Amino acid sequence: MMLKWLASTRLTLVGMLCLAVGAGLSYDNPATTSAWVLITPLGLLAINLFAAILSQPGINRRPGLLFFHIGLLGICVLSAIGQLSTLEGHVELSLGSAFHPSEINDVKQGPWHRGNISKVQFVQGEFTVDYSPRLMRGPTRSYVQVSDAHGNWSEKVVGDDTPLIIDGYRFYTTFNKGFAAVLTWTPVNGSPVTGAVHMPSYPLFEHKQDNRWTPPGESQELKLWLRLNTAYDPENAWVLDLDSATGVLVVNDLDDRVELSPGESVILSGGELRFDQITSWMGYKVFYDPTLKALFFSAILAVFGLFFHYWRKFSDQPMSQISTQ
Amino acid sequence: MTIVPEHPWIWAGLFAYAIATVAALKYVLFPGQKAKASQSAKYETLILGSIIIGVILLAVGLGVRWDRLGHGPFVNLFELLTSQLFSLGLIYAIVYWRIPLLRPSAVVVMPLIWILGTWVLLLEPKDSTYPPTYFNDWLWAHVGFGKIFLSFCLVAAGLAGILLIRGLDRFKNLFSTMPDSLLDQMAWRFMMLALVFDSLMLIAGAVWAQDAWGRYWSWDALETSSFMTWLSIGAGIHARLTYNINVRIGALAILAIFGLAFMTYFGTPYYSEAAHKGVI
Repeated sequence: MMLKWLASTRLTLVGMLCLAVGAGLSYDNPATTSAWVLITPLGLLAINLFAAILSQPGINRRPGLLFFHIGLLGICVLSAIGQLSTLEGHVELSLGSAFHPSEINDVKQGPWHRGNISKVQFVQGEFTVDYSPRLMRGPTRSYVQVSDAHGNWSEKVVGDDTPLIIDGYRFYTTFNKGFAAVLTWTPVNGSPVTGAVHMPSYPLFEHKQDNRWTPPGESQELKLWLRLNTAYDPENAWVLDLDSATGVLVVNDLDDRVELSPGESVILSGGELRFDQITSWMGYKVFYDPTLKALFFSAILAVFGLFFHYWRKFSDQPMSQISTQ
Repeated sequence: MTIVPEHPWIWAGLFAYAIATVAALKYVLFPGQKAKASQSAKYETLILGSIIIGVILLAVGLGVRWDRLGHGPFVNLFELLTSQLFSLGLIYAIVYWRIPLLRPSAVVVMPLIWILGTWVLLLEPKDSTYPPTYFNDWLWAHVGFGKIFLSFCLVAAGLAGILLIRGLDRFKNLFSTMPDSLLDQMAWRFMMLALVFDSLMLIAGAVWAQDAWGRYWSWDALETSSFMTWLSIGAGIHARLTYNINVRIGALAILAIFGLAFMTYFGTPYYSEAAHKGVI
């Protein structure tokens, strides 16, 4: 009796109505909407589907409908598992730097995430982005060096709809990319430290290539402005490319303002700051979901089951027969 | 409005659709014309011929634009509407040709197509730039399945419209050989076919989105709206199985689903600047 109630199409309709409300509330992923507005109706529909598959002869004795409902159940279960084991985030990598998991920002990780991202190894190379007139972004080509299981390195080109996939982790290039200043800081009585300060996304913030940075061990923040000369031309086609970028670094230390060309340095109160060179950085979206392939096959199973069911149904009673009944 | 090289072809195509629309309305709405079989055949040939000519002219118009801009009609509303006019006309012409019994549905279907046609006439044909994420084979599958889905919805809406308007005395002879229950069955058959192609469209779109933007589903404007459409077809089919729904209520449901699908395609750009997030 209970199984029959759980399998009823009335419950299906209630579940669908709740799911429609949940979908409406989830539009644009507002932070104020709980994930439960989707999880609850999906759970209800999964129970309803399972009960219907077990108990409804109208479903389990018709292969097409059976596969359709199994496929739908698979989608419900797999999408839930996917959400629980996902990892999403963003990472910025400057030219020549190796990926490290600790640099991922905005991390969203499911409680069942079991991937081993520490095994992921690749090094960022140069990249180019084509632009059409009026700053319409074209293809992105980002060159990365990837290490295989034997420690051999090979180059891959990723960009736009071609992600870098390593151990199930997917790295997608984004619109977020730009230039950086490579700096070497040598504190008084200390060893030199080299790193890159990323400037805001380019050419989105072409007019505002500045950032604030505090040298290691110091308390005084510096204002840095990278005054760039690139091929930037909003009215014509151009290519964003490190090779065509030159510029100077403007350093503001309280009241002092110094302009440094690559290779020049300035003595500050805590040490020496050298502007080594201009470099570039690429922003990636990181995505991990171990259920992707299974989810795809489940969806294909569902839709082909449905197609098969209607094929048989309509073949048994063609349109011409319906119309002459 | 800027005049572009593809405009004359598109206008000519719409003129051909207009002839088909007027012929469909005249044949059905003026009782004096309907009785004779020879008259019927004459009108049906005129309607089918006009739709086919319209499809060919729109195809040429789309081809001219494609050649001029270097990419398919997938980006702005002008392109989307024009290509829908082409595909709706093409698929409806096939249905009209292959299933003669459904031909009176032209009186509802052609005016619905002409709503899109009027809209196209009012749009600025801005040149569009092809986003890099559109260079993906799954886009073709996504768009192709979507066009078949909307066309089947349109045929179902045509049949549902007939069901509703023949409740009026003046139109009671429309589909006079078929009782309401059978017309209702045929309309829902097209909705069932629409569900298959809607599902395929969503799957192809999800694979494309995963490749293009690193997520297969993100509840953006189009995704939310298309999911609602899919859900409403599923709910309609289940409701029909569960309850003894009056055929006219069923017809209203089909028209509501078609309205939702129509809004998904053509209304979304009005409430979301980037229909798919990260599209550029």
